Amino acid sequence: MKISDYIRDRTLFLLINFILYILVCVALFLTKIGSSIILLTFCIWFFPLMTYMLIEFVKQKLLYNEINSIMNNLDRKFLLPEVMKKPNSVEGMLLYEVLSDANKDMHEHVKSYQLLEKEYKEYIETWVHEIKTPIASTRLIIENNQNSVTQNIKEEIKKIEEYIEQVLFYSRSNHVSKDYMIKELSLEEVVKNVVKRNSRDFIRKGISVDLEDVNGSVYSDAKWLEFILNQLIGNAIKYSHERNGKMTISTIRHEQNIVLTIEDNGIGISDKDINRVFEKGFTGENGRKYGGSTGIGLYLCKKLSEQLGIGLTLTSEYGVGTKASLIFPLGSTYILS
Amino acid sequence: MEKYIGSELMSKIVIIEDTEKIRDELKTFLIRYGYEAVALTDFENIIQDALNEEAKLILLDINLPIVDGYYICREIRKQSVVPIIVVTSRDNEMDELMSMNLGADDFVTKPYNTQILLARIESILRRVEGTNNRDILVYHDLKLNLSNGSVTYKGQTAELTKNEIKILSCLYKNKGKIVSRDLLMDFMWNADAFVDDNNLSVNVTRLRKKLDSLGMTNNIETRRGLGYILP
Repeated sequence: MKISDYIRDRTLFLLINFILYILVCVALFLTKIGSSIILLTFCIWFFPLMTYMLIEFVKQKLLYNEINSIMNNLDRKFLLPEVMKKPNSVEGMLLYEVLSDANKDMHEHVKSYQLLEKEYKEYIETWVHEIKTPIASTRLIIENNQNSVTQNIKEEIKKIEEYIEQVLFYSRSNHVSKDYMIKELSLEEVVKNVVKRNSRDFIRKGISVDLEDVNGSVYSDAKWLEFILNQLIGNAIKYSHERNGKMTISTIRHEQNIVLTIEDNGIGISDKDINRVFEKGFTGENGRKYGGSTGIGLYLCKKLSEQLGIGLTLTSEYGVGTKASLIFPLGSTYILS
Repeated sequence: MEKYIGSELMSKIVIIEDTEKIRDELKTFLIRYGYEAVALTDFENIIQDALNEEAKLILLDINLPIVDGYYICREIRKQSVVPIIVVTSRDNEMDELMSMNLGADDFVTKPYNTQILLARIESILRRVEGTNNRDILVYHDLKLNLSNGSVTYKGQTAELTKNEIKILSCLYKNKGKIVSRDLLMDFMWNADAFVDDNNLSVNVTRLRKKLDSLGMTNNIETRRGLGYILP
């Protein structure tokens, strides 16, 4: 608050005082009273007035400065009324109470949405849990009655499972921190698990896979990492050429990180799409051409990998292939952050 | 004459699972793979019933009527060291940790890959029964030693590669039945051998040559359009 603002605020008050003073001056002048008395009247009139205004200005200035500094230091600005000192002035108290009330109401409002979201999330979790039972029995029925029809159903069931997994991970994606367990993981083991999960598709589409150079271990959460890898490998399979597809998965160790690369010789992504692949709901040219794309997979991958502290990049040459890299930081910088 | 070591003790597996379909199908599935499977249906005295079966292994679901799987696991552990595999559709770390803390030997999440479930069962049984029982597969006069990767036929021995061992053991598991290329591929991939179509043909041909050179003339047969068979 600047003093000019303060004075501007009180223009009317000062103006009235001046007009009254001038009127009094005129009256005094007309009654032929000496100018020294008029000057004295000015002092008696304006000295206490100015002193009072100055004190008030300083007081208000201090109050607003305090509020401003609290506001700047708070990461949740709405907590201001809880933190600030209660003002003494009637005006201040009034505003303080209004602020507190508005805040309380807002809290209740937010709370009700939080509750709704929590309930919905819990419902999704239960639903996913429930639907796994019929899927498990379907899988067993297929296993016990193997023929070409059930094999086809098995492939479709696998797709259903993937979509269900996506739902689960989507609903958990905002709360990764509450649901992970960091362990030392062998990258080779994680990659093999995911390749095995997709073995039917690799075999059916005749895609050869090279895992020779997957080494090293990282600290991460197995479940989330497998989900991310499964999406990336799933994409590589989906957009591969029939019969002569080739996927190379390898790791390179740098001083600061381990980079896990999944390289395919599939259809690739065009230049105008490549920068948007991590956007939610973006399907691009390939999505339109091949269908069955939701634009959620890579979005989730990016979101989850960010939360796990893993870098994810995608480069591609249209018609030649795509290369996805997961970058796992190593060493003290990672642990400290 | 067909005999193989370990056959006299067809391992008995007890299934504790409340979903009827899964229970029945799982039983059929395990029987098909040469186990004696018992599915318990009465959950009133489930702990005692399970112990009375004197099984080699217990497959245990977590969500059950009356008492939950954790409780059953803990109670069984108090009285017996029988291996327990917890099978559940919950898949968070806490469940896994809790199962392990209560004495379960392994944890598999639904909907499981049946081949993986089989592999876990096998590996636990192998661990419990000692290594020798299941490491040597005998079929007619052919002896396949899984621990050192060799085959012996009438006194003659040949070394096999990793992939050849896997092919032979898959055919052995399905002896007398046609194994489709797809199934064989599935088996190989689940055993960490990520071979492609050509590789598989090459491996089978090599394996056949090796068996030929040992003097086993009627070994792996190719059934065109269907797959392979160990007659």
